[in-house]
Amino acid sequence: MSGKTHQYAFFLGCIAPNRYPGIESAAIKTSRNLGIELLPLKGASCCPAPGAFGSIDLKVWYAMAARNLVLAEQMNTDIALICNGCYKSIWEVNHKLKHHDELRDDVNEVLKEIDMEFKGTINVRHLAEIYYDEKICGVAKLADSITTPLKGVKIAVHYGCHLLKPRKEREFEAEGVGDTENPMWMEELVAALGAEPVQYRNKMQCCGAGGGVRGYDIAHALDITNEKLINMSEVGADAITEVCPFCQLQFDRGQIEIGEKFGVEWAIPVLHYNELLGLAQGMSPQDLALDLHGISCEPFLNKLR
Amino acid sequence: MAKAKGYSDENLSVRLADRYYRTEDASPDFLKNVEKIGMTIAHMCYQCGTCTGSCPSAPRSSYRIRKFVRRAVLGLENDALTDPDLWLCTTCYSCTDRCPRDIAPTDIIMAMRNLAFKREIVPRNFLNTVQFIYKTGHGVPNNDVNRAARVRLGLEAEPETTAKYAEFIPGIQKILDHYGLKDKADEILAEGQ
Repeated sequence: MSGKTHQYAFFLGCIAPNRYPGIESAAIKTSRNLGIELLPLKGASCCPAPGAFGSIDLKVWYAMAARNLVLAEQMNTDIALICNGCYKSIWEVNHKLKHHDELRDDVNEVLKEIDMEFKGTINVRHLAEIYYDEKICGVAKLADSITTPLKGVKIAVHYGCHLLKPRKEREFEAEGVGDTENPMWMEELVAALGAEPVQYRNKMQCCGAGGGVRGYDIAHALDITNEKLINMSEVGADAITEVCPFCQLQFDRGQIEIGEKFGVEWAIPVLHYNELLGLAQGMSPQDLALDLHGISCEPFLNKLR
Repeated sequence: MAKAKGYSDENLSVRLADRYYRTEDASPDFLKNVEKIGMTIAHMCYQCGTCTGSCPSAPRSSYRIRKFVRRAVLGLENDALTDPDLWLCTTCYSCTDRCPRDIAPTDIIMAMRNLAFKREIVPRNFLNTVQFIYKTGHGVPNNDVNRAARVRLGLEAEPETTAKYAEFIPGIQKILDHYGLKDKADEILAEGQ
């Protein structure tokens, strides 16, 4: 194990810093314990939201994401991020602009107006995938960082969509991450915390929120969420974990909205993987602002005590 | 001597050279535009239905991704762009992941939505996101409850984004204005009032 510190420009996105700031705080602190330094990416904006923005005009989506990428290029630092939606925008636009000259030229013509140029000099990674990467962290090092094992709890992993899919357009530096039908690497990350990851029906189904559907037809989006909650509850999940604050919002606020709209009562706590990791590294629920969650995390926390 | 394959009737040759069946109201450019914007190969679809079978929206609505791909191939632009189901794709990319023809049906939907927007067919929530980003740089902006929570966590009230560094917002506005996006969003929203 090397003592080397790996530095990344920390791309925050919107929902983590502006709705669940505990995720941001936990990501910085837990990563530091693993030799990963997350540096501020000053002046970054919304990624922008791939569903909402891409649906309107993909060219604007490319240009806006490129501006965020250039900020990291100016720091000469790879980007790390904590949201699948951001991953789709930032990773995919970086990849597309590196490989399509015409697209890159179009984008650079716009960026010229604000004295910027996309050069294609950096890479983009999701923090969860960095944790799994033996070259940087790996499951054993992760397990070594745990001071308060999460014993006696069953956790359902929601992978989300845009980190992994579509598989043929993704390239991961970490080995063992690419499978999209039945991946198990996040279960390994959960088991490293001392918790029991559980398997459930149709694990890879979407949370329902993406593509602007949450805003366009909330009942439709919630019906998808509800199906996932049924499948997770069938196997006795004490909590849901994910690596996407938008999925977190959909599961967390969504359970309340499902109660209001469908009269179905749910109370399964939803924690971003970095929040779980924070708890396992000894951070308190206050350190993680778990009180901002729509669904109380108390039953889950009580089970840990 | 080898001879080019064809029919003696030149008009018939021209008609049969077009491999795609089209009705009178079809727009041949539709397929071309969808493929260009979506950067995918819609015309390779053999209608197996793996996409619809993988779709989380299909079991709970009349949205059928396979039907939209067929509309692209047949050039049925009006049918596709005016169908409210166009906006029920969650962009989960399961269909794209599983397509045996390596088509990206999800990106066909994205391209169609882009074309619909050009005709000012777009749900309001998409335009609201544009307005938020134009004003703050964020699709989901900060608020006072969150600022207080951030401070309790030892973070600054504003994250290290455009929220803290407002000097970056004019650059974002320039990009959006380059494409006339904000004006168009304002205009469509005002019409709907």
